[in-house]
Amino acid sequence: MNASVIIFYIIAAFILGAGILAVTTRKIFRSAIWLLFSLIGIASLYFWMQVEFVAAVQIVVYVGGIVVLIIFSIFLTQKSGDEMPKPLKNRSIFSALAVLFGFAFTFNLIKQYGFKQIESTPFEVKVSDIGNQMLSTTEHGFVLPFEVVSILLLAAMIGCIVIAMKVKHNEQ
Amino acid sequence: MFSLEGITNTVHEWLNNHFSPTLALLTEFVLVGVAAIALFALLGLGLVWMERKVAAVMQIRLGPNRVGPKGIFQTTADTLKLIMKEGLTPDGADKFLFNLAPYIVMIVAMLILAPIAFAKNFQIWDINIGVLYLSAVSSLSVIGVLMAGWASNNKYSLLGAMRSGAQIVSYELSAGLSVISIVVMTGSLSINDIILSQQNGWWIFKGHIPAFISFVIFIIAVTAETNRAPFDLAEAESELTAGFHTEYSGMKFALFFLAEYINIFIVCAIGATLFFGGWMPLHIGHWEGFNHVMDYIPSSIWFFGKTIGLIFLIMWFRWTFPRLRIDQLLNLEWKYLLPISMFNLILMTIVAIMGWHF
Amino acid sequence: MSEITVTHILFVSTALFFTGMYGLFTRRNMITMLMSVELILNSVNINFVAFNKYLYPGKLDGVFFTIFVITIAAAEAAVAIAIIINLYRSHHSIDVEDASELKY
Repeated sequence: MNASVIIFYIIAAFILGAGILAVTTRKIFRSAIWLLFSLIGIASLYFWMQVEFVAAVQIVVYVGGIVVLIIFSIFLTQKSGDEMPKPLKNRSIFSALAVLFGFAFTFNLIKQYGFKQIESTPFEVKVSDIGNQMLSTTEHGFVLPFEVVSILLLAAMIGCIVIAMKVKHNEQ
Repeated sequence: MFSLEGITNTVHEWLNNHFSPTLALLTEFVLVGVAAIALFALLGLGLVWMERKVAAVMQIRLGPNRVGPKGIFQTTADTLKLIMKEGLTPDGADKFLFNLAPYIVMIVAMLILAPIAFAKNFQIWDINIGVLYLSAVSSLSVIGVLMAGWASNNKYSLLGAMRSGAQIVSYELSAGLSVISIVVMTGSLSINDIILSQQNGWWIFKGHIPAFISFVIFIIAVTAETNRAPFDLAEAESELTAGFHTEYSGMKFALFFLAEYINIFIVCAIGATLFFGGWMPLHIGHWEGFNHVMDYIPSSIWFFGKTIGLIFLIMWFRWTFPRLRIDQLLNLEWKYLLPISMFNLILMTIVAIMGWHF
Repeated sequence: MSEITVTHILFVSTALFFTGMYGLFTRRNMITMLMSVELILNSVNINFVAFNKYLYPGKLDGVFFTIFVITIAAAEAAVAIAIIINLYRSHHSIDVEDASELKY
């Protein structure tokens, strides 16, 4: 039991606790805040795994972007002080059962598979390596997915503007 | 010669000689935490006093002058008053989030402090993605504001929080782009590398006009990000009483107030690091004699001098420009600053590739 | 239990995935359903990074997949929120049960 193991357990408990609260609390804004804490916990798990770059991207995009977007949509569509209606009892019981069964089944499979870990090579993520491989056109380059994702983002941006645009009615 | 590096090294050696390494490390964590809190308190008191004095000078009056010489203990007295006051929580508020929000703002401010280099070899955490970390964590501070606005259950708070959120999220883009333009020149995200690359001149001089443009954009964007006048729509007194912290009182209000000044210090420190070389003394090319004279001034004095200079600039803005309307504010960002900073980034890349900088 | 293996991290990500599933099953508010989807996507990201770190430490493919998934999640969230705002405009509610007709 060294410090790193203890830190892992703390981070894991934090992620799962915040995640469970995010899907069960009945105040919608609190739900968003618990989601935020869960995402921060995941970012710290990335820090723990020494992939700082992914951790920083996670914080920039998820916390600075998506959660703020979600909070804005809460501001625009909900009232402060309201609570969401309770989910139907049958539905929550059956969902919980299905989820528990699914979790037990999946984790059983994972446990029995027995992954072989490679300890010899050290794992380090250099930002310059990510940049070079992202834009290289050789066999292990990612330039094509990079371009496709750029086009996807552009399409999503235009789509958002078109969907959310106010239609002007001609009132004569 | 006086240097912060010497003090930290002495403490580190003494601890490691007297205790086991784990205990020494834990003690160092505690010391760093205490030092950060002490720095926050000092900065809060000092900067509020400075703001009032600067305002007084701009308006040709004396400013605080009763408590202590030149009124330097005025802010201490104000803080004592705020601590004594009752912390009210409004009736319809979400109590948990209402009480959490000021602490979130403070914790975020503390986290941003980690990779900033205060003096030569005096840095809490030399992380290899330093600049990215800074822009990532500073995007968290908007959450505290939004939380405070929603939890207060007050329409003015909600409006203030929404304005503030829209403002911070949009101005983050141009601040990020101007930071990236310096990263393009340096080729590294680490704060330490960025400072060392300014050995023979600061980037604002070495990078020609593009560096100056990105400095101007950076200052405008961070003024907006810290909700300072002329971009203080989030707490525009004449429209929204006090914006997102309308319902706060006592110590919790003091935390928001303190966080505002801490954030100003942090963004100015980032600006000083990127464009003015952080703790790096003023060096001019190969003028050996001049450079040696400049090296005699301790690096911490250079860092704090540059940072306070930038803070003065931002305080000066407050008494110079009129407040913008919300549509003008968003127009300024999306129609002017963002295209200019994108174009500037391309220009900067060309300068870096062709090696046109000094 | 002295060493953290890939199985420990997979436990966390699996539990997070099924937490998200539970949210998706029980919630009927569009925004909270979107939050559950974000949890599911994040659990997948954890898996990619963990496999990359523990099973193929010499490569970076898992990190790249994570970055692409994060990008796509951002696009997805933006489109979903545009749809939610539009739904609220036409139905004055973002409950999925209230939006029962396809053409408005």
